Order: sequence, then C-alpha cells, then structure tokens
Amino acid sequence: MLRVRDLAVSYDDQLVIEGIDLDVETGKFASLVGPSGSGKTSILRVVTELVRPERGTVELDVPLTDVGFLFQDDALLPWRTVKENVGLGLRIRGHQSPEVDDRAEHWLELLGLKGYGGRYPSQLSGGQRKRVALAQILALRPQLLLMDEPFASLDAIVRTRITQELLDWVEREHFTVLLVTHDLEEAVSASDVVYVLGHGPGATIHARYDVEIPRPRNVLDTRRHPAFGPLLAKLWDDLSETRRGENPRP
Amino acid sequence: MTTQGHAPKIRRGLALVLLVGVWETLSQVGYWDPFYAPPPSAVGSVMFGLVADGELWPHLGATALAAFGGLVGGLLLGITLGFVAALFPLLAELLEPVMILLNAIPRVILAPLFVIWLGIGLASKLALATILVAVLIFFAVYKGIQEVDQRLVERIRTLGGGRRVLIQHVYVPSVTAWVMGNFKVAVGFAFTGAVVGEFVASSRGLGYLLQFAQSTYNAALTIALILVIMGFVLVLFSVAERVERHLLRWRHL
Repeated sequence: MLRVRDLAVSYDDQLVIEGIDLDVETGKFASLVGPSGSGKTSILRVVTELVRPERGTVELDVPLTDVGFLFQDDALLPWRTVKENVGLGLRIRGHQSPEVDDRAEHWLELLGLKGYGGRYPSQLSGGQRKRVALAQILALRPQLLLMDEPFASLDAIVRTRITQELLDWVEREHFTVLLVTHDLEEAVSASDVVYVLGHGPGATIHARYDVEIPRPRNVLDTRRHPAFGPLLAKLWDDLSETRRGENPRP
Repeated sequence: MTTQGHAPKIRRGLALVLLVGVWETLSQVGYWDPFYAPPPSAVGSVMFGLVADGELWPHLGATALAAFGGLVGGLLLGITLGFVAALFPLLAELLEPVMILLNAIPRVILAPLFVIWLGIGLASKLALATILVAVLIFFAVYKGIQEVDQRLVERIRTLGGGRRVLIQHVYVPSVTAWVMGNFKVAVGFAFTGAVVGEFVASSRGLGYLLQFAQSTYNAALTIALILVIMGFVLVLFSVAERVERHLLRWRHL
C-alpha cells in the first residue's frame, strides 16, 4: 500500500507539484498520467527518497528495501555483465554467490534472455536492456513496483510484448504497482486506477478513474473492451483541459 | 580483411627497407659524412656490440626500473589526490591551482631541482617520472569523478546500496575507465621522466648512455640508443594496450 498526502516538491524554489493525494492499494495497479514536465517523476523520486519533499507525507506498508524502482532509462552498469547486473540488487541485500547466480539465471530465462548472462549491456538491443533492468528489479521480488515510463524508448511491438509480460507477472504475483506514463492507452490497458496530473508548475491531481476491465488482461484485447474507449476519451479531455486552463497561450 | 589488411603493412615495410638502403648507399659512396650520418650497418654493429657484450642490460634495467616505479608511483599519487580532491572540496581548492600550474609547465624542467634534492641516483628519476604521471592522472580522476553518471548512482541507491557499494560498483570502475584512457600516455610520460632524469645527471641508464654518446660525438651510438628506446617504448605500448583492452573489454565488444 502506498499513501501520499498533500505532497509538494520544488526544484530551485520553483514549485513543481503541490497538494498531491494519491493511494495505491495493496495488489493494485495504478497509473499516473500527465503532460511531460508536470512532475510525475518527482512523486516516484520522493517515494524512493531520492528527493526530499517541500512538505507532505508518504506512507508505505512495506520497508523501502521492498520497493523496486524501474527507471526511465535502463541505467545498467556498463562494466558489469548482464548476469552481474541482474544479481546486483540481491548482492546488495546480502545474498551470496551461488544463490545470486542461480536466481539471476532464473530471471533471465523467465524474461527470454537465457544465454545472455555473460554479455555486456553494450551488446544488447534496447528492448533486451530493458528486460535486464526489469529482471534486476523483479529478482528482488518487490512488494511495491514503481515504474517511470519504463518502455518509452521502445518500438511499439517490443513495448506491447514487454508490457504484456509485466502484466502477467503483476497478476500472478499480486505486485502493487505505480506506473508513471504519458501513454494513455498503456495506462488504461494495464491499470486498475488512473490518476491524471495537471499541468505544471505547481501541478495537482486533476482526476482519478477506476478502470472496469476484468483481469487477467491481454494488452491488445483490452483495447477492444467497451470500457476502454470512453475512459480514454475522458483522459484525453482532461489532459487538453488542464493544458488550456493552466497554461494559456499568449 | 586478410589480404587487404596486410597490404598496407607490406607497403610500409618496403618503404622502410628502401629508406635504409638509400641511407646505407649514400653513406658508403661517401656522399654523406659518416661522422654525422653513420650508415645503418655501423649503427647495427654498435647496437649488436651493446647487446653482445652485455653493456646495454644494466642501463636498460635502470631506466626500466625508474620508469616502472614512476608509473606506479604516479598512478597511486594521481588517483589518491584525484579522489581526495573530488571528495573534499576544501582540499580541491588547495590542490587544483598547484596541479593546473604543474600541468601548464613542461614538468621536465623540475629535473635539476630533483637532482639537487635527491642526488644523482634512482630517487631523482623516480621523482621526475612520478610527477609527470601523477599530474596527468590527477586530472583524469578528478574530472572523472565529478562527471560520474548520476543515473547509475541513483540506481544503486534505489537498490539499497550505500557508500561502499557505490565506490565498488560505480566509482572504481568509472575511475578505471578514465585512468585506462590515459594509460598509454602515462607509460610514455614515465619513460620520458626516467630518460630525461638520467640525461640531466646520473651514472647509469639509457639517458646516461645517450648523454655519454652525445658528449663524445658518437652519432652511431646515439642513433642506436634512440632505436633501443623506441623499441622498448613500443613493447611497453603493446603491453599497455593489452591491459587496457582487458580492463575496458565491456566497452570494446
């Protein structure tokens, strides 16, 4: 469970977000959508204590060590092999060699990277690197998974495939997820709840929607569900509204 | 790749043979004064003599020891000072101007001073080679740490890693990359320091032999020694390249 109350973050005295209230119930998949630069990432950075908030509180029902953060860029260590990268989090948490290697191999296999363990990140494609980053986080079996536009740089086919894999994992393992994205379709097809962040500076939560599509879901089929279209349209309206309302053209 | 790859090497080899041949001929027919431009055969026999009677080895050993010691010392000093300056801004304020000054001057001008302070033995050569290398490495490490990829730092922190993990998995590998990027230059600097130090004042070493050859107007010996030094440095470079390729294998694949 993640509970954010009255959160405000500023960089260089410029208020980026303020008055943010946000809840993700245990085992639920929540998305946070909003225009770029609206401060979506800042919320995740506060939760993971990379940034100190101006005010407000973050409440977690799990220790911070059970929070996995998947970054926008893959940020793998270029000088470590794929297997070493996947095992890194486990090693930091004090697990020892044969176990770390086994678990790293296991996750690489699950994510379709069997046999790639000895390579370096520079030898992989963008999609493969993203899978490695995902394996690194999932190997820690996080109770709460935070994702910052994790698949933004991938092409549509790879992106759909990885999103589906992730969805399967989340449904099977009942991870709690908060996904930050500017891709509305991705948000609707993956989430139980969608939060819309307004336009910055000083952005606030503009709306909250429940996604009434049953699980397990298939990313492509979800788009044909009767609830999908209307919700997507509402999100579009909300985003264009916040843009017009808070950032008027001269 | 194979046939085309060898062609330039063969052409270069032929050009060298041609050059040596022309030089030899011009000296032999008396067109060039062998006093100033001794024929390759004379240089070759001097070199053979140096090797055959064993005179070369103690000198080569002395220079190699000074260069190697200076390389190791310079790396240690440069890396340590670079880390210190990057981690403690107050010390950086003191260190940076000194280093910038040392970087701006041709550091070999310090050689006479080291001879006065440390004598004509190994110590003054070590000191010169060390300072040549240390300044180069200092800047590589100091600037490098400041430009370490912050995304990697944040990644480690969100995985739960503290200072020790950051140093082991981010800072040390990053610093290794920057140091290795300068490694060949450092090897060259270390050798320069050793030879110039010997040139200024010493009782052994290739620089000492060179100084002796020059003062006795022995052109054949001078050229032979220059060739020995070139050959030795080339060997060192190829070793340095292997080390570099191994340590930075993640980058070259």
